[in-house]
Amino acid sequence: MREGKEACPFVEDSFSRFLSQSNMYGLCQAGEQELLAATLKGKVVCFRYQDLQQKIRPVAKEVQFTYIPVDAEIVSIDAFNKSSPNRGLVVGITFIKDSGDKATPFLNIYCDYEPGSEFNLESIAQSCLNLELQFTPFQLYHTEVQCEDGCSETVFLLSGHDQRIHLYKENASLHQFEEQPVERLFPELQELPSNVLWLDVLSIPGGRRLSAFGCQNGCVGLALVDQTGPEIVQSWRVQQDSPISTVLLFPLHSRAEPADPERAGEKGGDDIEIVGYNLLVTSSIEMAVVYRDVQEYGVSCHACLSESDQCDAVLCALVTDLDFDGQKELLLGTYGQELLCYKFQQPMRGTEEQFQLLWRRSFKSPLLSIIYLDLTGDGLRELAILTLKGLHILQHSLTSTADLVLQRLADRGSKLTPGSEVQPIPERNTEERDAVTNEEQSAPLK
Amino acid sequence: MRSLSYVQRVSFDFPGTLFPHAICLGDADNDSLNELIVGDTSGKLHVYKNDDSKPWITRTCVGMLTCVGVGDICNRGRNFVVAVGAEGWFHLFDLSAVAGAKSDSSSQQEALFSDDQKPCFSQHIPANTKVILISDIDGDGRSELVVGYTDRVVRAFRWEEPTDSSDLSSGQLVLLKKWLLEGQVDSLSVNPDLEGLPELMVSQPGCGFAILLCTWTQQGSSEAGPGEEAPPTPGSEGPSRDVILHLTTGRIHNKNVSTHLIGSISRGSKGDSSKCGLFALCTLDGTLKLMDSSEQLKWSVQVDHQLFALQKLDVTGDGREEVVACAWDGQTYIIDHNRMVVRFQFDENVNAFCAGQYTCKDGKNSPCLVYVSFNHKIYVYWRVELERMEPTHLLRVLEERPEFKARLEQLGVDAEDREAVRELVGDTLYGHTLKKQAG
Repeated sequence: MREGKEACPFVEDSFSRFLSQSNMYGLCQAGEQELLAATLKGKVVCFRYQDLQQKIRPVAKEVQFTYIPVDAEIVSIDAFNKSSPNRGLVVGITFIKDSGDKATPFLNIYCDYEPGSEFNLESIAQSCLNLELQFTPFQLYHTEVQCEDGCSETVFLLSGHDQRIHLYKENASLHQFEEQPVERLFPELQELPSNVLWLDVLSIPGGRRLSAFGCQNGCVGLALVDQTGPEIVQSWRVQQDSPISTVLLFPLHSRAEPADPERAGEKGGDDIEIVGYNLLVTSSIEMAVVYRDVQEYGVSCHACLSESDQCDAVLCALVTDLDFDGQKELLLGTYGQELLCYKFQQPMRGTEEQFQLLWRRSFKSPLLSIIYLDLTGDGLRELAILTLKGLHILQHSLTSTADLVLQRLADRGSKLTPGSEVQPIPERNTEERDAVTNEEQSAPLK
Repeated sequence: MRSLSYVQRVSFDFPGTLFPHAICLGDADNDSLNELIVGDTSGKLHVYKNDDSKPWITRTCVGMLTCVGVGDICNRGRNFVVAVGAEGWFHLFDLSAVAGAKSDSSSQQEALFSDDQKPCFSQHIPANTKVILISDIDGDGRSELVVGYTDRVVRAFRWEEPTDSSDLSSGQLVLLKKWLLEGQVDSLSVNPDLEGLPELMVSQPGCGFAILLCTWTQQGSSEAGPGEEAPPTPGSEGPSRDVILHLTTGRIHNKNVSTHLIGSISRGSKGDSSKCGLFALCTLDGTLKLMDSSEQLKWSVQVDHQLFALQKLDVTGDGREEVVACAWDGQTYIIDHNRMVVRFQFDENVNAFCAGQYTCKDGKNSPCLVYVSFNHKIYVYWRVELERMEPTHLLRVLEERPEFKARLEQLGVDAEDREAVRELVGDTLYGHTLKKQAG
């Protein structure tokens, strides 16, 4: 397989080894600057950066979630902050308790209603709602829904081996979560063709949402839903040849070409940038595929991510802006211990638009899950990568990112005072340049 | 403790077994790029180059190789490879010639080379060798060879040859001095003393070290012909006066514990102008110390791993060398002068370890960690560079830049308001993504 065009712009800041392995549902963000990672042997680790005496250091600490028996094996974990006006962190953990003769699956939902401790992980871990399940759980997902009274609420969606997706919603009067029929709020998630391995929901302007799911039998479902109702506007199905590991919905900005006056005219004026919603589908054998502009073309227009099938099954994916240019990049994590980054190439005249491999990075063990979040609390996000052996935190090169920030702040400053000269700022002297390591004096990105 | 996982590595085939000092990194063929030199117990010398899993060159020596080295031992301005066997055979190889010949050799010439496997020079020196050092130990600007023995003896040799000779065969090693120590010598090193002159240092059990005096520099060269040391007086207690033993204080559980030492740890360009050198000690029971030649303790670290190898390596590229210690189980510690620790776990038991500059894939030297496993493989982790030892974040890096404060003022953001600064930085980096999403 070829090398990417560029070198991986991340450097590893820390690696925390776990005692037992995790899986692709085993990592979630809890709060703004913390991660929860669940391992098979019933342990949940909270990872964060501690700020101590002007120094930060990574801390991975086990959190004792109550009502998880010693013989439990954790399947999935998820967490969310309640939609306003409610406050509080909710953590959901599914596990299978195997007491020898019969394996029983459970969903535990942790949430503290005590004022003042709604965000305190230690106390949340002690207040548990224990629900026995009638099915083997898979992905635990959360999304925001509009309620009848106009306010929004976040709910859990749990897929299972019973070919259904189950919805858990908070009953405000009882102060606890309960299962509710999924079809009332998610009519697109009923009568599924197979077990759903991955689900993604994205709200789009106009009070609508896109829902996508990928199944064990290779079926991918996509639906455009009007949130008021709710009612399905349009839905699509596509069959692939191997189990679907992830589906991800994401917007992409592309410049409309002048040769396309119709679409450019829609927005009028010079603003000819258009947003299209795309669906990334990764599967265990085939190449990863992006279905382009699904609102317009459904699943008929697709682009393949070349060579994404060369490193064993793709287990996880993430779509986010990693190079600060406002355009999202695609990250794929594979069982073949590779992290692949693809970038959307603006279509040129005569050439097919496509996603090109930008860089790749190897790991010591298979990649299971990826999250991009600000762990260090500096406004710059870090890449958290869960592998079979533990949790890797990759940080952007701080020297070159600092150069970029300063350059952009300077641009801003000059915009603030139009016409006037930008206040000259003395160049750093060489000694300070040394202090911030001479490694990357690269030209700032764009 | 910060922990990392390096992944860029290459593996070399190494069918034999080796002694822990029979491995080193150095420029064997004088092309300014470093090679890996390994000697095995059957007397075979392997030289690995780039990322080729097969040795670039192999040579056969007499006896079990216990130590190998690369250096300008003949003081001719270029490096030779030295291989010393337990039985006392000293071999000298000139690989520069081979490098030239090999590049334009065709396969039919291979047979010719098998002839050429013999060392350029061999000499028998006292047996039971354990560790060697090629360095200037007496401050005359010329390299000497120091050999540590399993019987607590250290000998220094100098290469001498007729001034007009170009052939190695006319030269020979001449014994300069023999020192007798109280305990086993596990490492030999040179460290600048308070005046900046080189001082020969050897490790002693129990986290101790001894400084060996090069007495020949004080005596006239005519006096007491070199090498003719007086036989140790029977019954005399303690070491002779040319060995100055130092025991470091602190938590030493076992005064016989095996100890390693490395000296001349670079302080980098900036900072102290002091000439005195930095050296580090480590013990098998997990004590690590950094000291300077005035015997001032810079730091000490206690770990629960059995440290058996100690090296120095500049991983941050700032000119300051970090201390690298490796344990039998593969746990590796990289510690800087400020006691910042970075850990790396190599996933196998380690037979031998070294660290240094090596040219792997990209045609230039980069900091590398070399592990010899117990299943016939050598693993080289290359480009083990770090931007910094200490975990930090963007705001701290920005605060070091003077223009950052000025920009904040210009934009009317209070530099002390952490949350506002964070928001500004986040907006600068990701702002237009969010705006686009909202729009």
